[in-house]
Amino acid sequence: MKLKDRAKRKIAEWQKKKEYDKKIAELKKRDPFVYKNF
Amino acid sequence: MIKLGLSAFYHDSAACLMINGEVIAAAEEERFTEIKHDDSFPYNAIEWVLNYAGIKITDINEIHWYENPDTKDDRVKTIFNKRPFKTFFLRQRYLKNKKNKSPKNLLHDLGYRGEIIYHDHHYSHAAFCYFTSPYKDAAILTVDGVGEWETTTISIGTGKHIKKLLTIDYPNSLGMLYSTITSYLGFRPNEGEYKVMGLAPYGDPTIYLEKLQSVLTDTSNKYLINQKYFTWEYSDKIMFNKKLCQLLELPPRLPEDTLTQDHKNLAASLQKLYEDQFLKLVETAKNITKSQNLCIGGGCAYNGVANYKAYKYFKSVYVPFAPSDSGSAIGACLDTHIKVNPYLGPSFSNNQVRKELQKYKDRLLYFNLSEEKLITKVGGLLQGQNIVAWFQDKMEFGARALGNRSILASAKNAKMREKLNYVIKKREGFRPFAPSVLEEQKNWFGVVETSPFMNLVSYIKGVGKQGYVIPFPAATHINRTARVQTVNETQNPKFYKLLTEIKRREGVGVLLNTSYNLKDQTITMTPKQAIDRYLSSDINFLVINNFLIKKK
Repeated sequence: MKLKDRAKRKIAEWQKKKEYDKKIAELKKRDPFVYKNF
Repeated sequence: MIKLGLSAFYHDSAACLMINGEVIAAAEEERFTEIKHDDSFPYNAIEWVLNYAGIKITDINEIHWYENPDTKDDRVKTIFNKRPFKTFFLRQRYLKNKKNKSPKNLLHDLGYRGEIIYHDHHYSHAAFCYFTSPYKDAAILTVDGVGEWETTTISIGTGKHIKKLLTIDYPNSLGMLYSTITSYLGFRPNEGEYKVMGLAPYGDPTIYLEKLQSVLTDTSNKYLINQKYFTWEYSDKIMFNKKLCQLLELPPRLPEDTLTQDHKNLAASLQKLYEDQFLKLVETAKNITKSQNLCIGGGCAYNGVANYKAYKYFKSVYVPFAPSDSGSAIGACLDTHIKVNPYLGPSFSNNQVRKELQKYKDRLLYFNLSEEKLITKVGGLLQGQNIVAWFQDKMEFGARALGNRSILASAKNAKMREKLNYVIKKREGFRPFAPSVLEEQKNWFGVVETSPFMNLVSYIKGVGKQGYVIPFPAATHINRTARVQTVNETQNPKFYKLLTEIKRREGVGVLLNTSYNLKDQTITMTPKQAIDRYLSSDINFLVINNFLIKKK
């Protein structure tokens, strides 16, 4: 794979991870978004 | 012998009063506080059941608590000890709350000095579904999020005895897995699971199935859930981590995000995975008990689609009217078979209703009719495509409106579903409505047995030359299924008469039946709530006992 393609793929993966983090952080703020088990 | 059964602190807190082996009254706390699935100590429900019977808490001989707080505490501490640093603050919060959640202290504060008997969480589920069933021997399968340690049990019931044969322990939990994906799809856990079930038929179950299957490992008769994707053991804010997102290659949905086909596919895959695992448990239950009868309990027993598949292995299947934690307030009191119906809550006399109606006389017209006239009149209104809120006698116990706190409409009119979803209940358009049908006409819905509590989802037979025409489109889901309630005269005489009137007019005694509540509300309990909700909605008519009510 060309260096350019690899870089593109890495950037896409990084962007996805960032989106996951953002969504998880947002969901954590919602009250309460869990099934209580404690 | 006077027993008080209680459940609290997970979800759906409830109280049940039993006198000399008969359930006198039972109610869920949420109906009094109007907080959906209220998990707080059921002060209001206790007060109501005691007042109903005209007794004081000091008259109670035994209090039966639906689970064992010490065993639960052992589980929570053991889990926290796995990650002492990560759970440091959570542990502090847990310990602080624990003091306020001691059943002994809370009941002592209420003035109770007698014996408190603690039962295992899953025993209370098993007892409720077995001892209220018609069977003298049965396999008993309980599946939920978690109790003390157990998340799934298989037992055998013989006469007055329940013997546990197999257990699956936390954190291996099908209920928790279902709730996790529910939250992943942007729905609130312990509430949105119905929505996921409703959404599933719109999706392709093959898309995410393999990925979801990879979090499960099947062992002999059991399943293990790989915890690397989940945060159940150390978070009270979220149920999954980034690894699950990477596995699914789909960002989690926020409640306000648009529902896409990907979300529908994920819902479909989850439902398929649940059904497959559930069916394996059913098969195991059959193999180890050899019984012809199956009782299903625990919160997951609200999954009517999966429940119906149990007929593959069992001749007869029973799901009680409140299989989740609220029903355990009743289950905890039981040590033998009893006959109990779901109509266990508050009722109001015609005088009480009239007094309430008089307060609204500038906004409402009301007529006190004989039962015969009322049934004929309401039958005509429903045939004329009106939506009628139907409030009668004692409130139901459990999540289903079974003809006493219901919104009723014609099941034949396809547009009715849209109107009810968008205009009346203001909820997601994909959610189906359930039909109520005269028991003698249950064949229209292809049910094997009677289904009095709406906990089994069956396939509707088509009609017409090719069999393509759906006879009751307003109460049929996109995949031609329906969560049907069969009604006989003994079970609910007035509702039966109304369905019989519909049969007289239309040939089949079927109505669309959905709970009488508007968006994010608990099911209606009092006449005042019934009137206020009627006035704030587009429901055409309200019936409370024998009063037919119309907006001016």
